[in-house]
Amino acid sequence: MSKMNRRTMLKTMAMSAAAVGGGLALNMTAPGTAEAEIKKLPAKWDETWDVIVVGSGFAGLAAAAEAAGAGAKVVILEKMPVYGGNSIINGGEYNSWDDELHLRQKLGLGDDSAEVHRKDTIKGGDFYGSPELVKILTDNATPALNWMIDDGGLKLREVVNRTGGHSNYRTHTCVEGVGRGYTEALRKIAEKRGAKLVLNTSITWIWRQNAEADSPVLGVEVKRGKKVLNLRATRALVLASGGFSRDVAMRQIYNPSLTADYNSTNHPGATGETVRYAQAVGAEAIHMAFIQLYPYAEPETGLLDAPAVYPFRGPGFGIVYVNKQGKRFVNEMERRDVVSRAEMATGMKPTFSIFNEKMILRMGTKEEVEAGLARGRFVKADSIAELATKLGVPPENLEETVKKHNQYMKDGHDPEFNRSFTKVMFPLEEGPFYGIAQWPAIHHTMGGVRINKEAQVLDIWSKPIPRFYAAGEITGGIHGTNRLGGNATPDATVFGRIAGTNAAKEKPLA
Amino acid sequence: MTMAKKYWLIAMLCLGVLLTCGTAWAMTDPCAGCHKDMSKVLPKEHPTVAAGGVAQCLACHNKGKEGAAEQNPFSTKLHTVHLSKKIDCVACHNAESGKSFGLKGDVVDWGAVKPEDVKLMQEKMNSWASSGFTDNLHARAGVDCAGCHGKKAPVSDDTVENARCLECHGPVAKLAERSANKEFPKRNPHASHYGSDIACTTCHKGHDASVVMCADCHKLWKMEIPGAAK
Repeated sequence: MSKMNRRTMLKTMAMSAAAVGGGLALNMTAPGTAEAEIKKLPAKWDETWDVIVVGSGFAGLAAAAEAAGAGAKVVILEKMPVYGGNSIINGGEYNSWDDELHLRQKLGLGDDSAEVHRKDTIKGGDFYGSPELVKILTDNATPALNWMIDDGGLKLREVVNRTGGHSNYRTHTCVEGVGRGYTEALRKIAEKRGAKLVLNTSITWIWRQNAEADSPVLGVEVKRGKKVLNLRATRALVLASGGFSRDVAMRQIYNPSLTADYNSTNHPGATGETVRYAQAVGAEAIHMAFIQLYPYAEPETGLLDAPAVYPFRGPGFGIVYVNKQGKRFVNEMERRDVVSRAEMATGMKPTFSIFNEKMILRMGTKEEVEAGLARGRFVKADSIAELATKLGVPPENLEETVKKHNQYMKDGHDPEFNRSFTKVMFPLEEGPFYGIAQWPAIHHTMGGVRINKEAQVLDIWSKPIPRFYAAGEITGGIHGTNRLGGNATPDATVFGRIAGTNAAKEKPLA
Repeated sequence: MTMAKKYWLIAMLCLGVLLTCGTAWAMTDPCAGCHKDMSKVLPKEHPTVAAGGVAQCLACHNKGKEGAAEQNPFSTKLHTVHLSKKIDCVACHNAESGKSFGLKGDVVDWGAVKPEDVKLMQEKMNSWASSGFTDNLHARAGVDCAGCHGKKAPVSDDTVENARCLECHGPVAKLAERSANKEFPKRNPHASHYGSDIACTTCHKGHDASVVMCADCHKLWKMEIPGAAK
């Protein structure tokens, strides 16, 4: 659209806004501004790209990689001084029914399929998640994992875990044991294909042509240092800026009980302004009140460090959770929301995971546990009684708890919490034994902008907003009430790829 | 004589010199306006110098022109002394708006600067001279603007890339060795899970209080950083 036409249109709109009593605006305006004020489109663009990606985690990098691979000129905008968002510090877990190395089969960990992964994911979110989108996640998790191995040099540990809410062993771990393994692989692919990563650049507005339903997104206004710049996206804009776990005010809008007293596992940049900019140009946001706590964070800080992933990985190999009285309080095979609630219901902070030497190599690495021991995150003892003393729980209680749990495992039946047992689980008979303290911290926001199967952002009338895509934690409606652990990385990677591929396919606007 | 009176007198003298000798002369020898007898401000062992301005100093004190990452004690000394006496930049520097930034009586040119850039430079130079932040730590070590910013006069939002810092402070492995935690080997800001290409400026702020980014999440770690807020 020529400048003249745009001006004319703005003017017409302004007049019609006035005509209906000042209620209609081009975009919903920022707080503190007049209701009918129109935020004028920039007169000139400081930069022009084919595809602009907001956020440099799994979703943003995957989108950029695919868009650049299709020949688009791509920029990735990251507001923080480091790339990677929460992805680069996440637990490094990736659910996939298979992988090109066929690790699950090799390790003798039973069967799995994309279909069972799909069913678990939908059930784990209490059937609130979109079956259509979940199917895309679970069907494409394996190809996306293989893509990162083949093109990005991703390396996996020779372990596959069965984690909370999953009925099979499908949780893969990268060698690094944190999300950096995947972000580095994705960054490598994206940069190799020519995408440009720019740090310290936060978006402050999304430009959409006008208020018509078929009006396209044109670009973004950004702040870089002291400068405010306008960036044009001739093909499309992809939002991949993550969730809002560290945005206390925003999370309290949806769940007032999640006060600032709660720790969070997230990096400080996990705030929700981008969702608001999307809403301001007509995007629908759904499931915003579904906010997940990670049950096994470091109790004092909320940190999800390498040791804090062990309690998550352990259930499939027989790990036991106990409260400060040394008693079990939940079915260890349960989902994150159930375990978190059960922990808080103990009324005694913290709770503990108990495991033994044999489980270590199935869950992680010896070196990681040694490092954790050295800095006091893990506690080690030769007997259960000694471990209990070191953890500060009554030894006789813990001994009793472990004895009973060992018996349940033998019987294949848990009359207390109805835990299910598998043949690859270890009873806590042989030492040395290990313990680690754990407590819930705010971890993942399941809500966000609504997308369709093409990763297009939908408006409140369920119509795709032209040239507007989103992927990863900023989207809502995939995981439902509760995201199963290890599903975020495949979600972000899979939908990031779809968003990037489709963004590059858009015909450039003049 | 009070300080104020003294400055007034100096200012009047300068003005007198300017009026007497004409602008062209003052351009080539900005020093002489205030320093009638240079030997009074020079160290005893310094060779005698005739009038002729700072340009002639540069014959011997020749660092800084190429913007190398190096110490420049001459420039540092000159700047800190004059800044402490609140002497304006343009007493010695040519600042032609949007065209050049140089030195009176010399042909050096540190790039096109705008009046707001000069203002910003003055602000940052004052920080450099006394803040206690990273800039001031460099001043104390004899490193001036060019030491970090290179040949071009810095403008708003300029940053310093890792490669520049590492010319003096590198390689990263050496920094990691210095910041190594013997008790907890993984707790090392220069060898962290963010890798070795994380921008130095993430934590080490040039003209602001430096902050340990690690502490955003690792709240229990007690880590110190040079140039932190007091």
